[in-house]
Amino acid sequence: MTIRIDGLEKRYGSVVALRGIDLEIPGGGIVGLLGPNGAGKTTLVEIMEGLREPTRGSVSVLGLDPTTQARRLKERIGVQLQSTSIPLDLTPAEVLGLYASFYPRSRPIDEGLEQVGLEAKRKALVRNLSGGQRQRLALGMALIHEPELLILDEPTTGLDPVARRGIHEVIRQYRASGHSVILTTHYIEEAELLCDRVIVIRAGEVVADGTPFQLIAKAEGVSTLWIAFSGPFDPAPLVKAGATPHGVEGNHHRFVTRDPAAAVVALGDILRGQEVSLVDLRMKRPTLEDVYLELVGGDADGEPGEEE
Amino acid sequence: MSFLPAFSSLTRAHVLMFLRSRAALVWTLAFPQFFLFMFEFAFSGGTPRGATYLMPGLFTITLISGSFFGVALRMVTERETGVLRRHRVTPVPAVAVILSHGATALVVLACSVTLQAVVARLVFRIGVAGSATTLVIVLLLGGLALVPIGMIAGSIARDTRAAPAITNFLFFPMMFLSGAAIPFPFLPAWMQRLARLVPTTYLVESLQGVMVRGQGLGRLRGPLLVLALMAAIGIGLNGLLFRWESTEPVRRGRVTLALSALLLVCWGAYFLAPPLEMSQRPFP
Repeated sequence: MTIRIDGLEKRYGSVVALRGIDLEIPGGGIVGLLGPNGAGKTTLVEIMEGLREPTRGSVSVLGLDPTTQARRLKERIGVQLQSTSIPLDLTPAEVLGLYASFYPRSRPIDEGLEQVGLEAKRKALVRNLSGGQRQRLALGMALIHEPELLILDEPTTGLDPVARRGIHEVIRQYRASGHSVILTTHYIEEAELLCDRVIVIRAGEVVADGTPFQLIAKAEGVSTLWIAFSGPFDPAPLVKAGATPHGVEGNHHRFVTRDPAAAVVALGDILRGQEVSLVDLRMKRPTLEDVYLELVGGDADGEPGEEE
Repeated sequence: MSFLPAFSSLTRAHVLMFLRSRAALVWTLAFPQFFLFMFEFAFSGGTPRGATYLMPGLFTITLISGSFFGVALRMVTERETGVLRRHRVTPVPAVAVILSHGATALVVLACSVTLQAVVARLVFRIGVAGSATTLVIVLLLGGLALVPIGMIAGSIARDTRAAPAITNFLFFPMMFLSGAAIPFPFLPAWMQRLARLVPTTYLVESLQGVMVRGQGLGRLRGPLLVLALMAAIGIGLNGLLFRWESTEPVRRGRVTLALSALLLVCWGAYFLAPPLEMSQRPFP
């Protein structure tokens, strides 16, 4: 078990940031912590990293207690903090060399630079790197000692899609070597694309946990169907199957339903029984985004629950 | 432990960053030369003997400014920008981070003092009455006593604006009371008494001992002991006051402890140190 958390609570004075988190994360794969700003994601990962102490409950990371066995734990985890803070007047090669010297074992600097695609920038000063390049360097800093577990706090926030894909590529390669990654994000597409498991946190509590597919399947979201027929038709079979007409867009009749499978069967009945033929059929299943918005609801803009 | 590799690469990184920050570099190296030329032209009387007599004060000013301004700001900046926070999630020991800041300050000091000494030698023909080795030891002890004070300022300063305020507050008494800026015999009697509380007084006294009066380490053991005690206590206090993050509170109890320890040494020196030989007029 890579991470085991029991009854974790964290308070800052009278503000409760985490209220009773229980989690078990086995080794391997990418786990995404998804939630609005202020949900407690950063507090949670910073407790795993040993930067903050729990108010109540127990936390074990790689079998170690982050509070009392911090030094041994820090040798085995790689961390990227939320706001990238790299000395501006050093080059990427010097930065990686500096961080490599903090660990008993580390990989060669050239390999480290190559891993995050910064070979060409090895002699440029950090202050002259783009946001995406700095973020890749921050990832290189977290990977230089070949950690068993990588903890990333919003690794792609503020990056353009191309830079974001570059970061995803590095994270996937790291996973391919059998290691575990925990990352926080508030990009739903990122969680859907990258993560093997998504844990949704809201106001300091876990509100959903599963693969992106499981989360979508469990949700009560509605599907939308757009159907275009040649000639007039009677929608009675569709309505009987639970689909509600929702107007017309161009040639397409729109229906919404919670049971898209039944609607498709009813569509078959229409085609067999009525003098029409199907011109076009489109369907939109609920996405992880719909599920997410359903879960965090009005909290999507954040609520005070976290320092900073 | 991973102390030594971390310490040396941190020191190397700090020195590199210092060399690349052109403004800091020029200021640190030019400031002592500015003082050198101003004082020597105004007060040396044009003789090598007069020029040499001013050097203990000038070296002391270089040591105070070099110890206080750079290192305090570097420490606050690293803490405020979160570089220290990032260090904190690695196994790097705090003592490696603290000592690397001290070592960096000593390297910077060594550069500016050496440059000042070379220029003073070439332009104003200064000489050293005692041994050069003794002079280097005295300068080193002076740096070791003063750098930790600058680092304490860096640890307790709330932000980058507070750091210069604290160091300026310390800089002026250390410069004017010690006889570094105004030759000691010209200070009124009450200021000479007050000066015994200021650590830099013992630095000027030791430097004059070796440069002007040709004294060795044995004769200078009194003032040098004060500097060594300041160094030991200062380094220890940095371990107590160091902060990884600006959100960590400055521990008031520890600051009080630090200030009392430093004051205790100053008071001890006030009562126990032998009479200051530099209070005699040099050229009767």
